[in-house]
Amino acid sequence: MKSVIFSLAALIATSFLLTSLPAAAQSEVMTDAHIDRIKSNCQAALGTLSRIHANDAPAYINRNQTYFSISDKLMAHLNSRLTLNRFDATDLVKTASSFNTALAKFRTSYKQYDETMSEVLKIDCRRQPVSFYDKVGETRQQRQKVNESVRQLQSLIDQYRDGVQAFKVKHMEQLTGGRS
Amino acid sequence: MTEDTDHIDEHEGSVPFYRRQIVIFISGSVVIAFMLVLVSMALYGSSGAAQLDLSRPGYQSVQDQVDRTDTFESFPANGPVTVAILEQFQKLFDRQVKPVDNSEAFSPAALEYQALDLDAPTEDN
Repeated sequence: MKSVIFSLAALIATSFLLTSLPAAAQSEVMTDAHIDRIKSNCQAALGTLSRIHANDAPAYINRNQTYFSISDKLMAHLNSRLTLNRFDATDLVKTASSFNTALAKFRTSYKQYDETMSEVLKIDCRRQPVSFYDKVGETRQQRQKVNESVRQLQSLIDQYRDGVQAFKVKHMEQLTGGRS
Repeated sequence: MTEDTDHIDEHEGSVPFYRRQIVIFISGSVVIAFMLVLVSMALYGSSGAAQLDLSRPGYQSVQDQVDRTDTFESFPANGPVTVAILEQFQKLFDRQVKPVDNSEAFSPAALEYQALDLDAPTEDN
C-alpha cells in the first residue's frame, strides 16, 4: 500500500515538474530590464496589434470569398463539364478536392488566430507583461499557420492551372475534334 | 399540526390557480430563452460566423474594405469542351485568382517582437 502511495506521489511530482519547466525557463530568460521594456512599450504595441487585427478581418473575408468562388464557380464547373463530356479529369478533381480541404484549414487556422489575438488585446500588459509577451509569441505562431494555409492554397491554384494546361496538351487531338 | 396544515391550505386556496401557472410559464420562458441564447452564441463562435461579422465593436472603420458586390464570373458547367473553351477558361481563371495572388498575406513578420519593440534590450541600451 505504501509503495503504491509513494509511486503515485512520485508520478504527480514528476508531472508537476515537467509542466512547470517551460514556464520556469521562460522566467529565467526574461530579465528585469526586458520586463521593464515590455511594460513601457506594450501600450504602443497594443495599438499596432489592434490595427493589424482590424485590418485582418476584411482581408480574411475577401480572401475567403474569393477562394470559395474559385472552388465553386471555376474548378467544380470545369471538372463537371469535363466529366459530362466523358473526359478523364481525375487529376483536376483531386486538386480541387485538396483545395477544398486547404480552404477548410485556412478557415480553422484563421479562427484560432483571431481568437488568440482577441485574448492578447484583452490582457492588461502593464500588470502581466510576461503573459502578454508569451501570448504575442503564440499569436505570431498562429498567424504563421494562416500564412502557411495561404501558401498552400496558392500552390494548389498553380497546380490546377498547370493541370488544365497538361490536360489541354494531353487531349489536344480529341479537343480539336470537339466532343459534346 | 393539523391546525397549521389547515392554515396553509386555506392560504393556498386564496391564490387563484392561474397565478401560479403564469409565474411558472413566465419563468420557464425566460429560462428557455436564456438557454437558446447560450446555444446560439456558442454556434456563432464555433461555426466561424464571428470572423465574418464586421458589425462587432472595433470593426466599423474597416467595413468599407469588404467587397460586397459579387463580381466573380462563373464558368459554365455545361457545353462542349474544345481548345478554345479551355483557353477561355484559362484566361478567366487567371483573371479571377489575381486578388489572392499574394502569398505574403498574413505574414507573421508583423508580429515579430522587434517590430513591436518588445524584444530584449541590448547591453548598449
